[in-house]
Amino acid sequence: MKEDSIIKRIYKSPYLHFVVFGLVMSLLPALTSGGILKTSWLGIIGGTIIYTIAALGLNLLLGYSGLISLGTAGFMGLGAYISAYATGNLGLPWEIGILAAVVIPVILGILIGLASLRMEGLYLGIVTLCVSEVLRKTFDELEPITGGFSGKSAEYPTLLGMFKLNQSTTFILLCVILVLVMILTYHLANGQMGRALNAMRGSHVAAQAMGVSLLKYRLIAFALATGYASLAGALYAHFIKFVYPSTWNLPLSLVILSIIVIGGLRSIYGTFIGAVIVYALPDLVLKRIPVIGDINGLSYVFSGILIILVVLFYPGGCVTVFYDLKRLLKKLTKRQVKDHV
Amino acid sequence: MGGRALSTFLQLLLRSLETGAIYALATLGIIIVFRTNLVINFAQGVMGMFGAYIVTVIFTKFGIPLLLAILLGIIAAIAIGFVVDFVIIRRTKKVGGSGKEIITLGMMMVFLGIAPMVFGVDPFRLPKIIETGAFTLDAANLSYNSLLNIIVGLALTIGLFLLLQKTKLGLAIRTTASNERTARMLGVPTKKVTLFSWALAMVLGTLAGVLIAPSTSVTVNLMDSVQVNAFIACVLGGFQTFYGPVIGAYIIAIANNLLSYYVSSVWGTQILYLLVIIFIVIKPVGLVGKRVIKKV
Amino acid sequence: MSDKIMPAELRAEEVLRIENLSMHFGGLKAVDQLSFSINEHEIFGLIGPNGAGKTTVFNCITQFYKPSDGSVLFRTKQGPVENLVDQKVHNIIRKGLVRTFQNVELVSELSLIDNVLVGAHIDFKSGGFSQALRLPKARREEKAMREKAERVLDFMGIADLKDALAGGQPYGVRKKVEMARTLMCEPKLIILDEPAAGLNDVETQQLAETIREVREKYNCSILLVEHDMRLVMDICDRVCAISFGKFLACDVPSAIQKNALVQEAYLGEKED
Repeated sequence: MKEDSIIKRIYKSPYLHFVVFGLVMSLLPALTSGGILKTSWLGIIGGTIIYTIAALGLNLLLGYSGLISLGTAGFMGLGAYISAYATGNLGLPWEIGILAAVVIPVILGILIGLASLRMEGLYLGIVTLCVSEVLRKTFDELEPITGGFSGKSAEYPTLLGMFKLNQSTTFILLCVILVLVMILTYHLANGQMGRALNAMRGSHVAAQAMGVSLLKYRLIAFALATGYASLAGALYAHFIKFVYPSTWNLPLSLVILSIIVIGGLRSIYGTFIGAVIVYALPDLVLKRIPVIGDINGLSYVFSGILIILVVLFYPGGCVTVFYDLKRLLKKLTKRQVKDHV
Repeated sequence: MGGRALSTFLQLLLRSLETGAIYALATLGIIIVFRTNLVINFAQGVMGMFGAYIVTVIFTKFGIPLLLAILLGIIAAIAIGFVVDFVIIRRTKKVGGSGKEIITLGMMMVFLGIAPMVFGVDPFRLPKIIETGAFTLDAANLSYNSLLNIIVGLALTIGLFLLLQKTKLGLAIRTTASNERTARMLGVPTKKVTLFSWALAMVLGTLAGVLIAPSTSVTVNLMDSVQVNAFIACVLGGFQTFYGPVIGAYIIAIANNLLSYYVSSVWGTQILYLLVIIFIVIKPVGLVGKRVIKKV
Repeated sequence: MSDKIMPAELRAEEVLRIENLSMHFGGLKAVDQLSFSINEHEIFGLIGPNGAGKTTVFNCITQFYKPSDGSVLFRTKQGPVENLVDQKVHNIIRKGLVRTFQNVELVSELSLIDNVLVGAHIDFKSGGFSQALRLPKARREEKAMREKAERVLDFMGIADLKDALAGGQPYGVRKKVEMARTLMCEPKLIILDEPAAGLNDVETQQLAETIREVREKYNCSILLVEHDMRLVMDICDRVCAISFGKFLACDVPSAIQKNALVQEAYLGEKED
């Protein structure tokens, strides 16, 4: 096989794709302040980024490791509250706040991973739901820390103690973090760890026979999923600037799940596409449709029907639509070449 | 003081029996669908919510007497259950892994979304079936309505067990539950069984919703607490039997009330959930389940 | 319960010895006081009529079941002799013992080469942190392993399919991938679980060739658990026959074929 030329290799490099993707996304604040797009887009796409990060973690858990969790919302909330409390009440720098917001829930996630070994997959979903409910009720009750049902406020991040951000620059920070998270996920998923997680999902016995410790990798899967979710929650706190306990409920966990199912299990870009379809599209498009657009619940119906259709007919998720189109195009162009010859 | 402590305890117990009866209905809906379709129907709660909404609307908007409204609601529930099985579940034969559960999660979102679209966002009130009157038992009182709920719950549970054990349909259900493919080959009408199980699940959910509605208001969140507790009851009781989860339902109701009163009104539920999780880690098959050895 | 066996209780030429291996399921004795040993560089067959307990035996060897009694002494690839019963199932491969599965357990959504790379799992030294950041050490390691996997796939004759998804491949190809996966760890003993199941005559012949080549190239022993008598008699140096979990005989193939006990156990199952 001919070695690809340097230019072709750079062009094909996934890193380039991620960076370009991030750069394109960062143009949004310029577009909204320039009046080309409504300012509401900033909040909606920012939310989409946050949901993508949480969903990437769930993708590692469900898509790669095959473990179902209905507790994502609880961990997002935990990250949000910890970061808000650390920066607001304890006056700690934003970076420390994020660190705490990720590390503390991960410990809890590892405990759940330990517990998960003792139960069948079916029970795991319910147990994670239990944990999420315990967290949600705790958010309601722990008024001194969480502000109870009246919520807790947070500020835009202050980087390195010096640079105070506003909504636009926080959005750009979100884009940067998203690109970093995507690259991290790409590394993990395509190396030894990703293969081990896949093996664990595909066949417990084969994984064990090949030296994959189910215990170790379950813990890793849960730690990653929890870390991603709590990071997303912390970013939520500093972008939306207000955290309510009622947000972190089962429907939110379902929304995150639907993102990866609809977008594409085990696909990084697919996760983003899923977030756009499930979160951004309803706000940006569906609500504008006359008559039915105004009705509450339309986005849920839309996502719910999509989930059912995807699982039944297109299990690879929407991202496979792209791959199928690509292959179709290749076939058509090949056929044209053949005719010429 | 002993007398009062005893009557408080009795009061808690009676109230728990009522809540437990309602949980048991929802739990039965979950376990019957699970045993015959091998899928955990995460949409059980919202399906019940939807049915309860139908009853409420028939009662409020059309002024039809409560009991008749409930009956009409049950008929609607059966129809919806049939539709769910026919349109969606039938096609899930080839879906593997957690795909079927994910489909029920999709169904959950659909019901959650359609409810406000059809019924609006304003909360409704559904009255008790028996408005006033109560027993007194040792300074503990039990309203007639609560007694009715307890009786309805018990009656349906026992009725369903009798159906399963004594009738031909029940035999068909149990055979399908133990092995669907074999049942089909033996000539058991498995398609009818699944149709029946989904209709039944919807009806049970609706009844649970109707019974709990008077103590709260009819909104999309009507079945939230019932739903979570019903799932936990199944986990506690084990998915291998029909009666295990029912026992679990009553245990959850009683434990929840006892913990909330005697230990902490604020943290009672959380403590309960944590205890259940710990129990499951220790005994993963639940209260009455049996270990199945996997063949390598 | 047997006493703790002292290490280094293997004869110089042995690589695996099972001593008084027993497996009870409730009241059922699936394996009953079975003993045999396998030598270095030997192709060894384990046969028995249906239900004889062959699968249980080698699940006990590979620690997918913990034996009720007995010991499994193995000369690890690091050198010392160990009793595998003391090991966790996912550590067995580290000792140099690897197995295939009758049901061909591959990950359908991974490519062939990625499936083979699962076999190299224990050889990766760079930790999660290093991999997450794709540090040069991790990158080099991945590249080296990938090249090794390509060589192994080439040895099995399916290198051109390396990037194809395992899910869409025909049965014969998937069996080859399973075998390739076991070669990545440079094993001392490979246990093949009914490798000829589902193969036609031509493919079985190729399999026989491949097994011999593996023994030559990788300098290992092979334990063959198999129903197909022709394959067993063709390539095995020695064969152990069991019935109802009990030892019947252990000898060279020609002697086993003539053994009265073995013939009796197979009565009604004999192949021409």
